[in-house]
Amino acid sequence: MTREAIDGISAPGGRARVVRAVSWMVLFAALHGGFRYFGRRGMLVNASRVEMRLRRDLLFHVIRLPLAFFGRTPTGDVMSRLTNDVSAVWLFLGPGLLILAGTAISYVLALFFMARISVMLTLVSLALAPVVVITSREYGRAFHRYHRKAQESLAAMNAALQENIAGIRLVKAYGLEGQEEKRFHRACREYYRQNVSVSKTSAAFHGAIGLLAGTGVALVLLLGAWLVIRGRLTLGGFVAFNAYLAMLSFPTMALGWVINLFQRGGSAMGRINEFLGIPAEPREPSLFPPRKVPDAPFLEVSDLSFAYEGQDRGEALRGITFSLRKGEIAGLVGQTGSGKTTLFSLLLRLYPVPPGTVFLEGRDVSAIPLDEVRRAVSLVSQDPFLFSDTILANIGFGRDVPDEEDARRAASMARFLAEIEEMPGGMHAVIGERGISLSGGQKQRATIARALCAGGELLLLDDALSAVDSETEQEIFREILSVRGGRTVLFSTHRMASLSRCDRILVLEGGRIVEEGTHDLLLSRAGAYFDLYSRQLLVRELEAAP
Amino acid sequence: MSNGTEFYFYEDRVEARGMDIRLLRRLLSYLVPHKGLIALALGGLLLGTACQLAGPYILKLVIDRNVTPRVLDGMAGRILLYLAALAGAMGFLYLQMFSVSLIGQRVILHIRTEMFGRLQRLPVSFFDRTPTGRLMTRLTSDVEALQELISSGLVSTVGDVALLAGTASVLLWMDARLALVVFAVLPALVLFVELLKRFIREANREKRRKLARINAYLQEHVSGVAVVKAFVQEEKSVRGFDARNEEYCAESIRLTNFYSVYFPGVELFASVAVALLLWQGGIRVIAGAVTFGTLVAFLEYAQKFYNPIKDMSDKYNILQAALASSERIFHILDMEVSPEYGPVPSGGEEDAGAVDAWGAGGARRAGPPAIEFRDVWFSYPKGGGEERGMVLRGVSFALLEGETGAIVGATGAGKTTILNLLCRFYEISRGEIRLFGRDVREIPRGELRGMISLVLQDPFLFSGTIRENVEAGGAAIDRAVEVAGVARFSAAWDGGLITQVGERGGRLSVGQRQLVSFARALARDPKILILDEATSSVDPVTEHELQSALAKILSGRTSLVVAHRLSTILSADRIIVMHRGKVRETGTHQELLAARGIYHRLFTLQFAGR
Repeated sequence: MTREAIDGISAPGGRARVVRAVSWMVLFAALHGGFRYFGRRGMLVNASRVEMRLRRDLLFHVIRLPLAFFGRTPTGDVMSRLTNDVSAVWLFLGPGLLILAGTAISYVLALFFMARISVMLTLVSLALAPVVVITSREYGRAFHRYHRKAQESLAAMNAALQENIAGIRLVKAYGLEGQEEKRFHRACREYYRQNVSVSKTSAAFHGAIGLLAGTGVALVLLLGAWLVIRGRLTLGGFVAFNAYLAMLSFPTMALGWVINLFQRGGSAMGRINEFLGIPAEPREPSLFPPRKVPDAPFLEVSDLSFAYEGQDRGEALRGITFSLRKGEIAGLVGQTGSGKTTLFSLLLRLYPVPPGTVFLEGRDVSAIPLDEVRRAVSLVSQDPFLFSDTILANIGFGRDVPDEEDARRAASMARFLAEIEEMPGGMHAVIGERGISLSGGQKQRATIARALCAGGELLLLDDALSAVDSETEQEIFREILSVRGGRTVLFSTHRMASLSRCDRILVLEGGRIVEEGTHDLLLSRAGAYFDLYSRQLLVRELEAAP
Repeated sequence: MSNGTEFYFYEDRVEARGMDIRLLRRLLSYLVPHKGLIALALGGLLLGTACQLAGPYILKLVIDRNVTPRVLDGMAGRILLYLAALAGAMGFLYLQMFSVSLIGQRVILHIRTEMFGRLQRLPVSFFDRTPTGRLMTRLTSDVEALQELISSGLVSTVGDVALLAGTASVLLWMDARLALVVFAVLPALVLFVELLKRFIREANREKRRKLARINAYLQEHVSGVAVVKAFVQEEKSVRGFDARNEEYCAESIRLTNFYSVYFPGVELFASVAVALLLWQGGIRVIAGAVTFGTLVAFLEYAQKFYNPIKDMSDKYNILQAALASSERIFHILDMEVSPEYGPVPSGGEEDAGAVDAWGAGGARRAGPPAIEFRDVWFSYPKGGGEERGMVLRGVSFALLEGETGAIVGATGAGKTTILNLLCRFYEISRGEIRLFGRDVREIPRGELRGMISLVLQDPFLFSGTIRENVEAGGAAIDRAVEVAGVARFSAAWDGGLITQVGERGGRLSVGQRQLVSFARALARDPKILILDEATSSVDPVTEHELQSALAKILSGRTSLVVAHRLSTILSADRIIVMHRGKVRETGTHQELLAARGIYHRLFTLQFAGR
C-alpha cells in the first residue's frame, strides 16, 4: 500500500489514489494489530500454563524423593531447578516460540511481496541474512558464556559476603578486617571483570549488527536507485521495498536470540529431567502386606545398624536391639552425636531401614506401605520447624483437614492453648516471617501439639522440650502419660526429672545401647547413666540456686 | 537438612518516593572520578546521534538528486557517505555503550567495596539484629539497581533527549507543516503508553510479588521436607503450592494480556503516523510543496522518534527504584562505626588503684591483674522491639597473669557475655573492664586484638586452606599446628596443611574444626586466650585429642574459659561461678570447696555415689 500511495503521488490524478491507499493501510494495520493480539495472547498464555504444570509436577516429584537426596543436594540447587530452570523452559516455549512464529510469518510474507516488487533486489537483500543470523547466534553463545561466568563470580562474591557476616566476631577478634576487605575486593573485582566482558561483547554485537543491517540497506539503496533510474522499478516500489526490508531486520536478529533461548531451554529441561529421573521413595504396598502378630511387642528393634551413605563417619548405629510393649514409656539418653536422632529417623523410615531389623506389632516396617508407617509414628524433632501459616494449620498439619477441636485439645495437652488464645486471631493467627514470631519454647510446644494432633500410636520426642522450662516439661509429660493407654512413647531429654518417670531407660553411647533399665537400677550401677545424671544435677543445682 | 545455603526472596518494601535532590546529588558525586569516561560516553553519544540523523537526510539527497531526476552522477558518493555515516553511528554507539557500562561497573565496584569496609566496622549488635539476608540484598540487588541507573538510565536519557531534540529540529527545518503531522500523533501515543504502562507496571509488581510467594513457599517446603515426610503430607504440600502457582499463572496471563494490547497498539500508532504522513505528504508532494526525498526522509525519521518516547516511562521507573536503593545503601554507609574503631580517648595511663584493689590484704604481686572486671553491668542493645533486661549485674573478678579461669553456670547465666565484653564486641553500661591495668576502652583496637585470641563455641573456619585459617591468627603457624594436634591429622592427607576446608570449614569434621580453631588461636601467641568450650561431643579418640591439646594450650597462659567439661573445670586455677548475671562464688578449687557454698555442694554431689 505504501507503494500504491507513493506511486499515486507521481501518477496523474494521484490524489484519490493516495487517499484510497492510505485508508487501506490503516485498515491493514488494524487487522495486523488484531492478529498479533490474539497470536501473542494465545501462545504466551499457553506457555504460562505449561510452566505452571511443569513446576507443579517437579515439586510433586521432588517432595517424594528420599531424605538422603536432600542431605546431599544443596537447597540452593533444588531451588534453582524449581525456579530458574522452569523459567528458562517458559522463556523458550513462550517468547521464544512466539518470536520464531513471528519471524517465519514475516519472512514468508515479506519475501513474497518483496519478490513481487523485484526478484533481483530480494536476492541482494537476502545475501547478508545468513551472516546476521550467525553473528547473532554466536553473540548469544558468547553472551551466555560470559553471563554464566559473571553469575558464578557473583555467587562467589555472595558466598564471601555471607561467610564474612557469619564469622564477623572472628573477623573482629583477630583484626582480620583488612584481610577480609582485600578478599572481598578480589571477588568484586572478578565479578567486575566478567561484567565488563559481557558489556564489551554486547556493545560490539550491537555495533556490528547495526553495521551489517545498514550495509544491506545501502546495497539495496544502490541497486534500487539504479533500477529506478533505469525505469525498471517504480519509486513507490523502491520505497516499499525498503519498508519491507526494515520489517525483516528485527526478526533476523531475533532468530539468533531464539536459537540461544532454545539451547538454554533445552539444557534447563535436561536438568529438570535429571531430578525427575531420580526414583522417589518406594511407598507402594507390597502385594502381600505382613499381618500383625497378636503377641508381638508394639515396637521391636533387632540388631539395627546404620551408616549414612556417602559419609565416611562410620556407622551411626551399631547393633541396636530393644523392644517396647504397647503403652510403654521409654527414655533415651546419650550425648549429642550418640545416635538418638538417627534412631528416631529410622523408626519413621526417613532413611531406608534394612529389612528384618525394625518391627511394628510384629510386622517388618520395610514391608509395610510407607504412608502407613509414618501415620503410625509421630515425631517431634529437635529442630522445631513450623510453616508460615496459621497456628491451626500448623498444629493440624498431620491431618488432611485440620479440625479446630482436635487442635485445641492437642494444644492444651502441649500447654500451649492459653498462649494461643491471647494472640490476636487465636488459632487463626499467622506465624512466621510475616506474622507473629514465636519464642523457642512456644515453637517446641507447637510441634508437640502437632504430633499429638496427628495421633500416631508411637510418639517420638527427640529432645523436644529443651527450650521449655522444666516445670512445664513435667506438666506436658503428665498430660501425655495420662492418656498412655493407647500411646507408646520413646523420648530423649537432657532433664533427669522426666526420666525418673518412665518405665525404662536406654543409654546410647557411640551408636550402641550401653545400659538399659529403670532409673533407680541404672543409678545404682554407677555407670554411664550415673555420669550423665551427675552432670545434670550440677546444672540443675545452679538453676535452682536463688 | 540445612546446609548453610540460604535463599533470600525479600521484596523491597520501600517503594520510591519521588525525587530527592540531595540523594541524587550524592549519587552523582560517585561519578566525579570518572569524568574522562563520562566525557567519552557523552561525546560518543552526541556524535553517534548526529551520524544517525544524517542517514535519512542522505537518503533524501539520493532520491531528490538522483532517483527523481534519474541521474547517476554522485550517487555512489552519496551512498558511500551514507555508509560512512552508518559506520560512524555504530562506532560511536559501541564507544558509548562500552564506556557507559564501564562507568557503571566501576561505580558499583567502588560502592560495594566501601559498603563492605563499613560493614566490617559496625558493632556486633548490628549483626545481631539484622538478618543476613537483608544485608546480602543491600550489597547485591540494591547495588545492581544503581548500576542499572547509570548504564541504562542517566546516559541514555541524555541520549534520548538529544535524539528527540535532534530529530525534531531536523524535521522542522526540512518542512514545518509535515513535522507537525508527525508530532500530531505524539500526544495520543504518549497517552496510550502512559495509560497501559500504569497497568503493566502494577501487574508486573504483582507478578513479582506472586513469584516471591512461590519461591518462599518452595524454599520453606524444601527445607522442611523432613516434617512434610514425617506427617505424610506430600499431597497437602503440593496442594498448597497449586494455589500459589495458579495465582502466579493468572497474574502472568493478566500481564500477557496487557502486553498483547500494548505492543500491537504502539505499532498501530506508528502505522497510523506513517499513513498520515503519506496522506499529507503525498498531497504536498503532488502540489510540489515538498520534494519526494523529503517525504521518504520523514518516514525514516518518524521511526526514530517513537522509540525514545516509548522508553521514557521505563526510565523514570529505573530512576525511582535506584533512588530507593541508594537510600538504603547510604543508610548503611552513614551508620556509625563501632566505638573501638574511633580514636582512643586520651589517658590510658596505668591505674594504681587496680593493684590495691586486687592486693587487698597487703600481699602485693608483681603488676596488676591480667583481666579484671569491676562492677560491670551490661544489657544487650535492644533489637527487634525486644525488651531485654540486664544480663550482667555488677560482675567483678580478677585473673592474674598466667592463670586459667573457668566460668561455670547454667545457660543464660551470662558466661558467653563475659567473653564478648572482653573482646569489646559490645560497650558496657556501667563499670570497668581492665586488661593489665588498662581500661579496654583506652587500648587501641589493634593492640587489643593483638593481645587476645578467641575460640568460639562453634568452631567457625573461613573457606580456604587449613594453613590460611591458622595464618589468620598469627605468624607462629608451625608450633601452633603442632601443639593443637592439627599436624597429626593433616599429615595423613595428600594436601597436608594446604587442604581446602570448604565453606565454613564444612569439609572437616567437627573435632578437626575445633583443633584448627585452637591452632588459629595459638598462632599469635596471645597474652590472653578466651575460649568458649564446645558442647558438641565427638568420638572418644578426638575427644581425648581435644582434651590433651586444650591442656597444653591453657597451661601457663592467661586464659578465660567458659567450661563445660568437668576436667577443664578441675584443672582451672580459678573458678568463677555465675548465676543470673552475678558472680556467686570465685576462687580456686580448694578455696571454693572450703567455702562450702554452691560449688562445694556440686562437688560433693558429683562424688556422692563413688
